[in-house]
Amino acid sequence: MNCFEFRRKILASPRERTREREQHVRACAACEDLANEVERFEAGLHDAALVPVPDALAARVLLRHKVHQPARFGVLALAASLVLAVGVALQFYGGFPGEENQAAPAATRSEHQAAAAAISYVLDYEPQLLAENRAGDPGEMRQALVQLGLRLPADGVTVRYLGKCPVVPDGTGEHIVLKTALGQVTLILAPGRSFASREVVAYRDRTAIISPARAGGYILISDSQKTIRHLEKMLM
Amino acid sequence: MLFDSEKSKFETLVKAYSPELYRYAYWQCRDRFLAEDLVQETFARAWQAWDKLRDDKAAKSWLYTILRNEHARLFERKRVEIDDGQELNDIVDTASSSVYDQLEMRDALKALPASYREPLLLQVLGGFSCAEIAGMMEISEGAVMTRLTRARLALRKMPGLNAGRRMKAR
Repeated sequence: MNCFEFRRKILASPRERTREREQHVRACAACEDLANEVERFEAGLHDAALVPVPDALAARVLLRHKVHQPARFGVLALAASLVLAVGVALQFYGGFPGEENQAAPAATRSEHQAAAAAISYVLDYEPQLLAENRAGDPGEMRQALVQLGLRLPADGVTVRYLGKCPVVPDGTGEHIVLKTALGQVTLILAPGRSFASREVVAYRDRTAIISPARAGGYILISDSQKTIRHLEKMLM
Repeated sequence: MLFDSEKSKFETLVKAYSPELYRYAYWQCRDRFLAEDLVQETFARAWQAWDKLRDDKAAKSWLYTILRNEHARLFERKRVEIDDGQELNDIVDTASSSVYDQLEMRDALKALPASYREPLLLQVLGGFSCAEIAGMMEISEGAVMTRLTRARLALRKMPGLNAGRRMKAR
Protein backbone atom coordinates (compact mmCIF):
# COMPACT_ATOMS: atom_id res chain seq x y z
CA MET A 1 0.00 0.00 0.00
CA ASN A 2 1.38 3.42 -0.92
CA CYS A 3 0.63 6.78 0.72
CA PHE A 4 -1.95 7.75 -1.89
CA GLU A 5 -3.86 4.52 -1.42
CA PHE A 6 -3.62 4.80 2.36
CA ARG A 7 -5.01 8.36 2.39
CA ARG A 8 -7.82 7.45 0.04
CA LYS A 9 -8.87 4.52 2.22
CA ILE A 10 -8.54 6.18 5.59
CA LEU A 11 -10.67 9.14 4.51
CA ALA A 12 -13.34 6.89 2.99
CA SER A 13 -13.44 4.33 5.76
CA PRO A 14 -11.52 5.39 8.88
CA ARG A 15 -12.87 2.67 11.15
CA GLU A 16 -11.69 -0.12 8.94
CA ARG A 17 -8.53 -1.75 10.22
CA THR A 18 -6.53 -3.92 7.84
CA ARG A 19 -3.10 -5.45 8.13
CA GLU A 20 -1.95 -3.48 5.06
CA ARG A 21 -2.92 -0.19 6.67
CA GLU A 22 -1.25 -1.05 9.94
CA GLN A 23 1.93 -1.97 8.13
CA HIS A 24 1.92 1.26 6.16
CA VAL A 25 1.37 3.40 9.27
CA ARG A 26 4.33 1.75 10.98
CA ALA A 27 6.51 2.53 7.97
CA CYS A 28 5.36 6.11 7.18
CA ALA A 29 5.50 8.89 9.78
CA ALA A 30 3.39 11.33 7.74
CA CYS A 31 0.59 8.79 7.32
CA GLU A 32 0.83 7.89 11.01
CA ASP A 33 0.22 11.58 11.85
CA LEU A 34 -2.71 11.64 9.47
CA ALA A 35 -4.14 8.45 11.01
CA ASN A 36 -3.97 10.00 14.49
CA GLU A 37 -5.59 13.19 13.31
CA VAL A 38 -8.33 11.30 11.50
CA GLU A 39 -9.01 9.32 14.65
CA ARG A 40 -9.51 12.53 16.67
CA PHE A 41 -11.58 14.07 13.92
CA GLU A 42 -13.83 10.99 13.70
CA ALA A 43 -14.46 11.07 17.45
CA GLY A 44 -15.59 14.70 17.17
CA LEU A 45 -17.73 13.93 14.15
CA HIS A 46 -19.39 11.00 15.92
CA ASP A 47 -20.15 13.05 19.04
CA ALA A 48 -21.57 15.89 16.98
CA ALA A 49 -23.85 13.52 15.08
CA LEU A 50 -25.31 12.11 18.32
CA VAL A 51 -28.12 14.61 18.79
CA PRO A 52 -30.30 13.96 21.87
CA VAL A 53 -33.10 11.47 21.33
CA PRO A 54 -36.56 12.34 22.70
CA ASP A 55 -37.60 10.50 25.85
CA ALA A 56 -39.77 7.42 25.41
CA LEU A 57 -39.42 7.44 21.63
CA ALA A 58 -39.53 3.63 21.38
CA ALA A 59 -42.60 3.52 23.63
CA ARG A 60 -44.42 5.95 21.34
CA VAL A 61 -43.45 3.91 18.28
CA LEU A 62 -44.81 0.75 19.89
CA LEU A 63 -47.99 2.55 20.90
CA ARG A 64 -48.70 3.53 17.34
CA HIS A 65 -47.77 0.05 16.18
CA LYS A 66 -50.95 -1.25 17.83
CA VAL A 67 -52.80 0.18 14.82
CA HIS A 68 -51.44 -2.65 12.71
CA GLN A 69 -52.44 -5.60 14.86
CA PRO A 70 -54.30 -8.29 12.95
CA ALA A 71 -58.08 -8.16 12.71
CA ARG A 72 -58.58 -11.57 14.37
CA PHE A 73 -58.65 -9.87 17.74
CA GLY A 74 -61.28 -7.50 16.39
CA VAL A 75 -64.51 -8.59 18.05
CA LEU A 76 -63.17 -8.72 21.58
CA ALA A 77 -61.18 -5.55 21.15
CA LEU A 78 -64.17 -3.71 19.73
CA ALA A 79 -66.38 -4.86 22.59
CA ALA A 80 -63.77 -3.74 25.10
CA SER A 81 -63.27 -0.44 23.37
CA LEU A 82 -66.99 0.28 23.22
CA VAL A 83 -67.16 -0.15 26.98
CA LEU A 84 -64.14 2.12 27.23
CA ALA A 85 -65.70 4.70 24.93
CA VAL A 86 -68.74 4.95 27.18
CA GLY A 87 -66.43 5.56 30.12
CA VAL A 88 -64.46 8.13 28.18
CA ALA A 89 -67.66 9.91 27.14
CA LEU A 90 -68.60 10.19 30.77
CA GLN A 91 -65.16 11.61 31.45
CA PHE A 92 -65.81 14.15 28.70
CA TYR A 93 -68.93 15.19 30.56
CA GLY A 94 -66.78 15.64 33.62
CA GLY A 95 -68.40 13.05 35.82
CA PHE A 96 -70.65 10.05 36.06
CA PRO A 97 -74.46 10.00 35.85
CA GLY A 98 -75.97 11.00 39.12
CA GLU A 99 -73.09 13.21 40.11
CA GLU A 100 -73.94 16.77 40.91
CA ASN A 101 -71.99 18.33 38.08
CA GLN A 102 -73.44 16.17 35.32
CA ALA A 103 -76.21 18.61 34.42
CA ALA A 104 -73.92 21.59 34.02
CA PRO A 105 -73.12 22.76 30.48
CA ALA A 106 -69.98 21.42 28.80
CA ALA A 107 -68.49 24.89 28.52
CA THR A 108 -68.04 24.99 32.30
CA ARG A 109 -66.02 21.76 32.32
CA SER A 110 -62.30 21.78 32.25
CA GLU A 111 -60.96 21.86 28.70
CA HIS A 112 -58.07 19.81 29.97
CA GLN A 113 -60.40 17.04 31.06
CA ALA A 114 -62.20 17.01 27.73
CA ALA A 115 -58.92 16.90 25.82
CA ALA A 116 -57.57 14.10 28.01
CA ALA A 117 -60.79 12.14 27.47
CA ALA A 118 -60.47 12.61 23.72
CA ILE A 119 -56.85 11.43 23.78
CA SER A 120 -57.83 8.33 25.74
CA TYR A 121 -60.55 7.62 23.22
CA VAL A 122 -58.14 8.03 20.32
CA LEU A 123 -55.44 5.83 21.84
CA ASP A 124 -57.74 3.06 22.97
CA TYR A 125 -60.50 3.08 20.40
CA GLU A 126 -59.19 4.52 17.14
CA PRO A 127 -56.75 1.71 16.19
CA GLN A 128 -59.60 -0.78 16.02
CA LEU A 129 -61.74 1.62 13.99
CA LEU A 130 -58.91 2.17 11.54
CA ALA A 131 -58.30 -1.56 11.23
CA GLU A 132 -61.96 -2.13 10.40
CA ASN A 133 -61.94 0.63 7.82
CA ARG A 134 -65.52 1.69 8.49
CA ALA A 135 -66.84 4.86 6.92
CA GLY A 136 -69.22 7.50 8.26
CA ASP A 137 -71.39 10.04 6.49
CA PRO A 138 -69.36 12.65 4.55
CA GLY A 139 -72.42 14.94 4.39
CA GLU A 140 -72.65 15.14 8.18
CA MET A 141 -68.93 15.78 8.41
CA ARG A 142 -69.14 18.64 5.89
CA GLN A 143 -72.08 20.13 7.78
CA ALA A 144 -70.16 19.99 11.06
CA LEU A 145 -67.10 21.56 9.44
CA VAL A 146 -69.18 24.42 8.02
CA GLN A 147 -70.83 24.94 11.40
CA LEU A 148 -67.41 25.37 12.97
CA GLY A 149 -66.04 27.56 10.18
CA LEU A 150 -63.51 24.95 9.10
CA ARG A 151 -62.80 23.43 5.73
CA LEU A 152 -60.84 20.42 4.58
CA PRO A 153 -58.19 21.45 2.06
CA ALA A 154 -58.37 19.90 -1.38
CA ASP A 155 -54.72 18.84 -1.34
CA GLY A 156 -52.28 17.64 1.24
CA VAL A 157 -54.74 15.77 3.43
CA THR A 158 -56.19 12.26 3.17
CA VAL A 159 -59.18 11.13 5.23
CA ARG A 160 -58.31 7.75 6.75
CA TYR A 161 -61.41 7.36 8.88
CA LEU A 162 -64.72 9.08 9.31
CA GLY A 163 -67.37 8.29 11.87
CA LYS A 164 -69.39 9.44 14.83
CA CYS A 165 -67.51 10.31 17.99
CA PRO A 166 -69.09 8.88 21.15
CA VAL A 167 -67.01 11.09 23.46
CA VAL A 168 -68.98 14.17 22.40
CA PRO A 169 -72.28 14.28 24.22
CA ASP A 170 -75.62 14.14 22.34
CA GLY A 171 -74.14 12.11 19.47
CA THR A 172 -73.24 15.24 17.49
CA GLY A 173 -69.51 14.65 17.42
CA GLU A 174 -67.60 13.70 14.31
CA HIS A 175 -64.41 11.69 14.46
CA ILE A 176 -62.07 12.17 11.52
CA VAL A 177 -58.59 10.71 11.12
CA LEU A 178 -56.48 12.64 8.67
CA LYS A 179 -53.16 11.77 7.12
CA THR A 180 -51.01 14.80 6.40
CA ALA A 181 -47.52 15.25 5.02
CA LEU A 182 -46.27 15.55 8.60
CA GLY A 183 -48.21 12.66 10.08
CA GLN A 184 -51.57 11.46 11.28
CA VAL A 185 -53.94 13.76 13.14
CA THR A 186 -57.31 13.05 14.70
CA LEU A 187 -59.90 15.80 14.39
CA ILE A 188 -62.89 15.65 16.67
CA LEU A 189 -65.63 18.09 15.75
CA ALA A 190 -67.97 19.10 18.52
CA PRO A 191 -70.62 21.37 16.98
CA GLY A 192 -72.75 23.08 19.60
CA ARG A 193 -70.17 22.45 22.34
CA SER A 194 -68.43 25.67 23.20
CA PHE A 195 -65.14 25.38 24.97
CA ALA A 196 -64.24 28.26 27.23
CA SER A 197 -60.70 28.68 25.97
CA ARG A 198 -58.09 27.32 23.66
CA GLU A 199 -55.72 24.89 25.39
CA VAL A 200 -52.80 22.68 24.52
CA VAL A 201 -52.90 19.46 26.51
CA ALA A 202 -50.25 16.74 26.66
CA TYR A 203 -51.47 13.41 27.94
CA ARG A 204 -50.45 9.75 27.48
CA ASP A 205 -47.80 10.42 24.81
CA ARG A 206 -50.17 12.50 22.73
CA THR A 207 -50.78 16.21 22.39
CA ALA A 208 -54.19 17.77 21.90
CA ILE A 209 -55.27 21.25 21.01
CA ILE A 210 -58.80 21.98 22.13
CA SER A 211 -60.30 25.15 20.76
CA PRO A 212 -63.58 27.00 20.55
CA ALA A 213 -64.80 27.63 17.00
CA ARG A 214 -67.62 29.55 15.32
CA ALA A 215 -70.54 27.48 16.59
CA GLY A 216 -68.91 24.85 18.72
CA GLY A 217 -65.43 23.56 19.19
CA TYR A 218 -62.91 21.06 17.97
CA ILE A 219 -60.07 18.94 19.28
CA LEU A 220 -56.98 18.03 17.29
CA ILE A 221 -54.84 15.15 18.52
CA SER A 222 -51.51 13.85 17.30
CA ASP A 223 -48.17 12.69 18.60
CA SER A 224 -46.56 15.94 17.53
CA GLN A 225 -47.73 19.45 18.20
CA LYS A 226 -46.06 20.60 15.00
CA THR A 227 -48.21 18.19 13.01
CA ILE A 228 -51.33 19.51 14.75
CA ARG A 229 -50.49 23.13 14.02
CA HIS A 230 -49.66 22.23 10.43
CA LEU A 231 -53.13 20.72 9.97
CA GLU A 232 -54.89 23.45 11.92
CA LYS A 233 -53.54 26.09 9.54
CA MET A 234 -54.85 24.05 6.63
CA LEU A 235 -58.31 23.83 8.17
CA MET A 236 -58.69 27.59 8.61
CA MET B 1 -47.96 -17.70 19.15
CA LEU B 2 -46.27 -16.92 15.88
CA PHE B 3 -47.63 -13.41 16.06
CA ASP B 4 -46.43 -13.01 19.62
CA SER B 5 -42.97 -14.15 18.63
CA GLU B 6 -42.80 -11.84 15.61
CA LYS B 7 -44.24 -8.99 17.64
CA SER B 8 -41.64 -9.54 20.30
CA LYS B 9 -38.90 -9.48 17.67
CA PHE B 10 -40.33 -6.30 16.23
CA GLU B 11 -40.43 -4.67 19.66
CA THR B 12 -36.80 -5.58 20.19
CA LEU B 13 -35.92 -3.88 16.91
CA VAL B 14 -37.89 -0.77 17.85
CA LYS B 15 -36.09 -0.50 21.17
CA ALA B 16 -32.69 -1.21 19.63
CA TYR B 17 -32.82 1.04 16.58
CA SER B 18 -35.19 3.91 17.41
CA PRO B 19 -32.42 6.17 18.75
CA GLU B 20 -30.01 5.83 15.84
CA LEU B 21 -32.82 6.00 13.27
CA TYR B 22 -34.05 9.17 14.97
CA ARG B 23 -30.57 10.70 14.76
CA TYR B 24 -30.23 9.75 11.13
CA ALA B 25 -33.72 11.14 10.42
CA TYR B 26 -32.83 14.33 12.26
CA TRP B 27 -29.80 14.91 10.07
CA GLN B 28 -31.87 14.16 7.00
CA CYS B 29 -34.58 16.71 7.77
CA ARG B 30 -33.06 18.79 10.63
CA ASP B 31 -36.39 18.98 12.39
CA ARG B 32 -36.93 17.13 15.68
CA PHE B 33 -40.67 16.67 15.24
CA LEU B 34 -40.39 15.58 11.66
CA ALA B 35 -37.56 13.21 12.58
CA GLU B 36 -39.79 11.50 15.12
CA ASP B 37 -42.62 11.26 12.60
CA LEU B 38 -40.20 9.68 10.14
CA VAL B 39 -39.13 7.09 12.70
CA GLN B 40 -42.76 6.34 13.54
CA GLU B 41 -43.62 5.92 9.88
CA THR B 42 -40.54 3.78 9.28
CA PHE B 43 -41.55 1.26 11.91
CA ALA B 44 -45.19 1.32 10.83
CA ARG B 45 -44.13 0.43 7.29
CA ALA B 46 -41.63 -2.11 8.55
CA TRP B 47 -44.38 -3.93 10.43
CA GLN B 48 -46.68 -3.80 7.43
CA ALA B 49 -43.95 -5.43 5.33
CA TRP B 50 -42.64 -7.65 8.12
CA ASP B 51 -42.92 -10.87 6.10
CA LYS B 52 -40.46 -9.43 3.57
CA LEU B 53 -37.67 -9.40 6.13
CA ARG B 54 -36.07 -12.78 5.42
CA ASP B 55 -32.78 -12.28 7.23
CA ASP B 56 -32.74 -10.83 10.73
CA LYS B 57 -29.16 -9.66 10.19
CA ALA B 58 -30.39 -7.39 7.41
CA ALA B 59 -32.98 -5.72 9.65
CA LYS B 60 -30.89 -2.67 10.43
CA SER B 61 -30.07 -1.77 6.81
CA TRP B 62 -33.68 -2.58 5.88
CA LEU B 63 -34.96 -0.06 8.44
CA TYR B 64 -32.52 2.59 7.25
CA THR B 65 -33.65 2.00 3.67
CA ILE B 66 -37.31 2.38 4.65
CA LEU B 67 -36.48 5.61 6.46
CA ARG B 68 -34.58 6.95 3.46
CA ASN B 69 -37.54 6.14 1.24
CA GLU B 70 -39.99 7.78 3.64
CA HIS B 71 -37.87 10.89 3.74
CA ALA B 72 -37.67 10.96 -0.06
CA ARG B 73 -41.45 10.55 -0.28
CA LEU B 74 -41.92 13.42 2.12
CA PHE B 75 -39.72 15.67 0.03
CA GLU B 76 -41.59 14.68 -3.11
CA ARG B 77 -44.85 15.82 -1.56
CA LYS B 78 -43.67 18.92 0.14
CA ARG B 79 -40.40 20.72 0.41
CA VAL B 80 -39.69 20.83 4.12
CA GLU B 81 -38.88 24.27 5.39
CA ILE B 82 -35.72 24.26 7.43
CA ASP B 83 -34.97 27.08 9.79
CA ASP B 84 -31.28 26.68 10.44
CA GLY B 85 -31.35 28.65 13.64
CA GLN B 86 -34.44 27.07 15.09
CA GLU B 87 -33.12 23.71 16.15
CA LEU B 88 -29.53 24.39 16.98
CA ASN B 89 -30.00 25.57 20.54
CA ASP B 90 -32.37 22.70 21.23
CA ILE B 91 -29.95 19.99 20.23
CA VAL B 92 -26.92 21.23 22.09
CA ASP B 93 -26.00 19.08 25.03
CA THR B 94 -24.89 21.79 27.43
CA ALA B 95 -23.45 19.23 29.82
CA SER B 96 -20.74 18.45 27.32
CA SER B 97 -17.37 20.08 27.86
CA SER B 98 -16.76 20.26 24.12
CA VAL B 99 -20.05 21.95 23.37
CA TYR B 100 -18.52 24.56 21.07
CA ASP B 101 -16.59 21.94 19.12
CA GLN B 102 -19.85 20.07 18.65
CA LEU B 103 -21.62 23.23 17.54
CA GLU B 104 -18.95 23.89 14.96
CA MET B 105 -19.04 20.31 13.74
CA ARG B 106 -22.83 20.33 13.57
CA ASP B 107 -22.75 23.56 11.59
CA ALA B 108 -20.23 22.00 9.26
CA LEU B 109 -22.33 18.85 8.87
CA LYS B 110 -25.38 20.94 8.06
CA ALA B 111 -23.46 22.84 5.43
CA LEU B 112 -22.38 19.67 3.62
CA PRO B 113 -24.25 18.86 0.42
CA ALA B 114 -26.85 16.14 1.04
CA SER B 115 -25.13 13.78 -1.38
CA TYR B 116 -22.04 13.87 0.85
CA ARG B 117 -23.80 14.07 4.20
CA GLU B 118 -26.01 11.07 3.66
CA PRO B 119 -23.36 8.38 3.14
CA LEU B 120 -21.24 9.98 5.86
CA LEU B 121 -24.04 9.68 8.42
CA LEU B 122 -24.86 6.15 7.34
CA GLN B 123 -21.25 5.34 8.13
CA VAL B 124 -20.85 7.41 11.31
CA LEU B 125 -24.24 6.69 12.90
CA GLY B 126 -25.13 3.36 11.36
CA GLY B 127 -21.65 1.91 11.19
CA PHE B 128 -22.27 0.61 7.68
CA SER B 129 -19.45 -0.40 5.35
CA CYS B 130 -18.95 1.27 1.98
CA ALA B 131 -20.44 -1.79 0.27
CA GLU B 132 -23.56 -1.68 2.47
CA ILE B 133 -24.00 2.05 1.88
CA ALA B 134 -23.62 1.45 -1.85
CA GLY B 135 -26.43 -1.11 -1.66
CA MET B 136 -28.72 1.23 0.24
CA MET B 137 -28.07 4.22 -1.97
CA GLU B 138 -28.04 2.17 -5.16
CA ILE B 139 -24.72 3.59 -6.31
CA SER B 140 -21.34 1.91 -6.79
CA GLU B 141 -18.98 1.26 -3.92
CA GLY B 142 -16.42 3.45 -5.65
CA ALA B 143 -18.89 6.32 -5.77
CA VAL B 144 -19.56 5.88 -2.04
CA MET B 145 -15.83 5.98 -1.27
CA THR B 146 -15.44 9.12 -3.35
CA ARG B 147 -18.34 10.86 -1.61
CA LEU B 148 -17.07 9.87 1.84
CA THR B 149 -13.57 11.12 1.06
CA ARG B 150 -14.88 14.40 -0.31
CA ALA B 151 -17.25 14.80 2.65
CA ARG B 152 -14.39 14.49 5.12
CA LEU B 153 -12.12 16.78 3.13
CA ALA B 154 -14.92 19.34 2.90
CA LEU B 155 -15.55 19.16 6.66
CA ARG B 156 -11.88 19.65 7.36
CA LYS B 157 -11.74 22.70 5.18
CA MET B 158 -14.75 24.37 6.75
CA PRO B 159 -13.97 27.51 8.70
CA GLY B 160 -14.28 27.16 12.44
CA LEU B 161 -13.23 23.56 12.68
CA ASN B 162 -9.96 23.02 14.49
CA ALA B 163 -9.06 20.14 12.23
CA GLY B 164 -9.49 22.36 9.24
CA ARG B 165 -7.11 24.92 10.66
CA ARG B 166 -4.58 22.17 11.29
CA MET B 167 -4.90 20.92 7.76
CA LYS B 168 -4.39 24.40 6.34
CA ALA B 169 -1.29 24.88 8.45
CA ARG B 170 0.36 21.84 6.86
